[in-house]
Amino acid sequence: MIGDSPDPALAGSGGRTGERPRQRPLPGVAPGSRRGEGWNVVETTEVRTSGPEPPPGEGEPTPPDERAGRSPRRLVALAIGAAAAVILFPLAFAYLRDPDANRVGVVALAIVVGVGGVFLLFWVLNRTVDFLPARFRETIRPYVFVGPALVLLLVFLVYPVFNTIFISLRNSSSTEFVGLDNYRFVFTDSGMLRSIRNTAGWLVLVPIVAVSTGLAFAVMADRLIRGEAVAKSLIFLPLAISFAGASITWQLIYSYRPQGFGSNVGLLNGIVLGLGQDPVRWLELQPWNNLFLMVIMVWMQTGFAMVVLSAAIKSIPDEIIEAARIDGASELQVFWRIIVPTIIPTIVVVTTYMIINSMKVFDIVFVQPANAEANGTVVMAERMIRWFFQLNHNGRGAAVAVVLFIAVIPVMIWNMRRFREEEAIR
Amino acid sequence: MSATPIPAPVAVEDRRSTAPGDVRKGGWFIRITIVVIVILWSIPTLGVLITSFRAEELVNTSGWWTALAHPFRAAEWTLENYREAITAAGFGSAFMNSLAVTIPSTVIPITIASFAAYAFSWMEFKGRFVLFVAVVGLLVVPLQMALIPILRMFTQGIIIGTWIVFPDLDLNQSFLGIWLAHAAFGLPLAIYLLRNYIGSLPSSIIESARIDGADHFTIFWRLIVPLSVPALAAFAIFQFMWVWNDLLVAYVFLGGSQENRVLTVALRNLVGTTGENWQILTAAAFISMALPLIVFFSLQRYFIRGLTAGSVKG
Amino acid sequence: MRRTRMALAALMALFLIGAACTTDEGGDGGDGGGGGVNQEENTGTVNVLNAMEPHEAEAVQAAVDENIGDVDYTVEIEASADFEEQFPIRAEGGTLDVALVPQPGTVAAEAEAGTIVSLEDMGIDVGQLEETVGEYLMSLVEFEGEHWGVPTNVNLKSMIWYPKDDFDAAGYTVPETYDDLIALSDQIVEDGGTPWCVGFESGSATGWPATDWMEDIMLRTAGPDVYDQWVAHEIPFNDPAVVTAAETFGEVMFTDGYVLGGAADTPSIAFGAAPLPMFDDPPKCWLHRQASFIIGAAPFPEDAESGVDYDWFPFPPIDQEGTLLAGEFAVVGTNGNRPEVTDFLEKFLSEPVQCAQGGDPLSSRVSPNLEVGPDCYANEILADSAAVLTEALANGTGRFDASDLMPGEVGAGSFWTGMVRYMQQGPDSVQGVLDDIEASWPA
Repeated sequence: MIGDSPDPALAGSGGRTGERPRQRPLPGVAPGSRRGEGWNVVETTEVRTSGPEPPPGEGEPTPPDERAGRSPRRLVALAIGAAAAVILFPLAFAYLRDPDANRVGVVALAIVVGVGGVFLLFWVLNRTVDFLPARFRETIRPYVFVGPALVLLLVFLVYPVFNTIFISLRNSSSTEFVGLDNYRFVFTDSGMLRSIRNTAGWLVLVPIVAVSTGLAFAVMADRLIRGEAVAKSLIFLPLAISFAGASITWQLIYSYRPQGFGSNVGLLNGIVLGLGQDPVRWLELQPWNNLFLMVIMVWMQTGFAMVVLSAAIKSIPDEIIEAARIDGASELQVFWRIIVPTIIPTIVVVTTYMIINSMKVFDIVFVQPANAEANGTVVMAERMIRWFFQLNHNGRGAAVAVVLFIAVIPVMIWNMRRFREEEAIR
Repeated sequence: MSATPIPAPVAVEDRRSTAPGDVRKGGWFIRITIVVIVILWSIPTLGVLITSFRAEELVNTSGWWTALAHPFRAAEWTLENYREAITAAGFGSAFMNSLAVTIPSTVIPITIASFAAYAFSWMEFKGRFVLFVAVVGLLVVPLQMALIPILRMFTQGIIIGTWIVFPDLDLNQSFLGIWLAHAAFGLPLAIYLLRNYIGSLPSSIIESARIDGADHFTIFWRLIVPLSVPALAAFAIFQFMWVWNDLLVAYVFLGGSQENRVLTVALRNLVGTTGENWQILTAAAFISMALPLIVFFSLQRYFIRGLTAGSVKG
Repeated sequence: MRRTRMALAALMALFLIGAACTTDEGGDGGDGGGGGVNQEENTGTVNVLNAMEPHEAEAVQAAVDENIGDVDYTVEIEASADFEEQFPIRAEGGTLDVALVPQPGTVAAEAEAGTIVSLEDMGIDVGQLEETVGEYLMSLVEFEGEHWGVPTNVNLKSMIWYPKDDFDAAGYTVPETYDDLIALSDQIVEDGGTPWCVGFESGSATGWPATDWMEDIMLRTAGPDVYDQWVAHEIPFNDPAVVTAAETFGEVMFTDGYVLGGAADTPSIAFGAAPLPMFDDPPKCWLHRQASFIIGAAPFPEDAESGVDYDWFPFPPIDQEGTLLAGEFAVVGTNGNRPEVTDFLEKFLSEPVQCAQGGDPLSSRVSPNLEVGPDCYANEILADSAAVLTEALANGTGRFDASDLMPGEVGAGSFWTGMVRYMQQGPDSVQGVLDDIEASWPA
């Protein structure tokens, strides 16, 4: 889809013109000088007329506002498309499952089937709605738009949620009903209580540090004349390194070796030794070891906050900011009075995501070369995974998960409120 | 729709380049802060990079930063770790499998999520608020708790009593199964991010298009999608990266056999359980990172150019 | 016009339903082949999930391929670095063929959950198996009157490694009793050396090597019978017998100068890296207690030669005699209830395949099959440990790793954590640590 999207700068140079006259660019706005989305009529219209090619099966250009379903030719095309899909897809899948099939062929076909299939799905569904009696059409259509998402979520996430609730009320091997025993365990076991306290720390500190660093960095990088892309890429890099980030990267920083086991290969102990001190067991240094682990998550997640917030900052029309500056506002005032209020919805989104991610964090704790429980670095999701997979107690693992589901509700209420407010002022 | 005037900034000059107090020019503070943050953030990555080019013995006996002391001593460096990772059995097919998993797993959720985000933003229907918030709430569902029920569903279907809730589609070890799983796991964030973006587009654009008689599908396809390219690109990067780097989902749904496994699984098994082979681990990390970074760089221009004053910086 | 539209809508609906149905049937056809009989049809492939190191898995794959004979299926030895997670996922998700599980405790848990198939249901003759591997190993996987795993590998845990050439040069002799061992340690300290190299770090499983120490000592201070009671929780975890064992363990760990780096450092030292100072010149430590698999899992330095640079002696008896061992059991998932899996299990344990496995120097696998003779093993270390194991299993003093037999919350949880705390907090914490472990034992 990305690849198919028209390049606004080229808009109008090719593409179908459609029936309606193309609007001329507004005077004074150079093509391609897009600012905030709503600020540019030019692209808006041109995009519309030179839009992406219709999905496969759609015939020749037709006046866009004619109800598509009315043309018999389209109907035939639609029917043929559907029939082809019904016949071809199973064949395609059979090929995809064939272990002897050529890899490149499989990949190519996978992409065609996976990508084309979804386009076709929406197109067919939307057209199907067009055949409905007019009075149902617009009531049904929204559900066609959200339907596939809801179905997928229902099957892959909602069903597991109910399954989790179910097994959280059962014993270690899920064979007997035990009532709320597992929840009692969650709120009485010392390791669990410790993990709840730690998780509370994570979900306060990590979002605050990661979002504010990401925001500050995005705002400042926006001011760079050169090197913005490079600077942002380097902050983004930790997100992409996750495969090793989970296990090795921070051992290069925190690793500890006692006397006799070779020289220290962790950077921090390298520095400490350089200063003439004894090496430190960073991961056992309670309670600071929790902070050291949070640093890893901040390091990984700031890039996410930065990318998303940067996109939002760039959508603030320059004119507003310039006007404020001309009126004598300081940079800090611009930041607090214009930038932050404008992108607050995005800040909420990023913060929510960070909070939820901090609740779910387990691998950072899990992969450290230290016993999390003995060192007091346990967190809830880590307990969940450990009880579920290592300690063979499905019920307790599931109960921790359910507690996490419930803990997210306040965040959701906060979001719901914001969502309504946003709609109200639109 | 194009005929309807949209409140637009009239005659915008690029004041930025001419404004006297333009911060873009000055700002030592900003430059220094950025450099400091970038350096701090790059240290661990640099450690990984250096380690991946060092021989096993050096990795175990001296800190990676010591290599910086004599960067031109040839004996310090080696390509052996990369050679070992790349020549491992089945690397090529693992790479292709990763592609076959990742590309559809990126495109499918984006398509589905942008339709849903559009509906949540601009269509009226019952339960809109509640459904949307519920979708976002699903962000909290840990993947690990979903794997076993889904796997069971793939192999046996869901049957309550005699009623088949979900048929046994034999999706295990099939690409379709893993695409759908990845798509579903990525959907909550995709819908959340895209609704935030699509919902913040000026209502005037959509309204005028409605007045022009465009239906929702047309508005979405011809108007919203092109305007949302920055947000779509941003999510595409994240999703691509996650799916590409994912080990767990791929391992569970595709398995670890030679012909089925993806790159992360192949590299993970190369390294083994003890995790002692730092030099191989780091080389593997950079190999698996290469493609996501290419995607990042190639899509970055979309979400910067799409929104900046961009081309006319004076 | 309108009618055409409706007709086409209906047609499309039919297509969609048709599409759903075709896939339906495809799915049903896939696993409906069994029809009536207990086992499903031969699929031509047996997947064997395991936790081996990559090179070990390759050796086993080769041994199987070359020695399994003419069969109508192929065997896939799939080593997984994430075995602990993958095994329950596959077992409970219904995609598991065969897994080689190191913890009998886990086997019992999966058996209870009904996600694995008993040997009786697979049509395997358990009586014959008991003759092949001895009754003790089979008793470990007995649950509700049925047996749930085939022992396919054992390894010896009660081994103390030492740098042979330097050891001999220093005039030390291999200790015959525990008192000799302590005297030797004192002697080394007196000579200005450090006797023990100890490391308990193992990622998220940090602490398990310490439980091995405890078990070895428990077996020798309290004896095999009390050991069994301890495993079965017939005596509490803070029983005086266990306290004695923990204190004996503490004497080695906490005596000044005994442990390289000191006891508090041991949870930070990777178990694989722990023996390496032994190969320094002069050796930074002289003794290292670890199971036979250490040569396969985290090889000693490449230039170190077995029998010259290093060798081993059995952990000497204290008040009682015993031999600690560990191993793995082939367990069949619900997806593996097929005739070719039964056939595979029988062939996998048979003498030709097992003997071939022992031929790989790095595999460090010892066969539980009592017919497999010492000639099968690649080197003397493996052959000697096989001899010790066979004898221990025969005379009834062999005992399986307790933490692998205990319920997960203890054996893979509080026991590990407790031992780490003991190391960190010192000798006075022993009672508190054992009380905590006792409290964590499931009701």
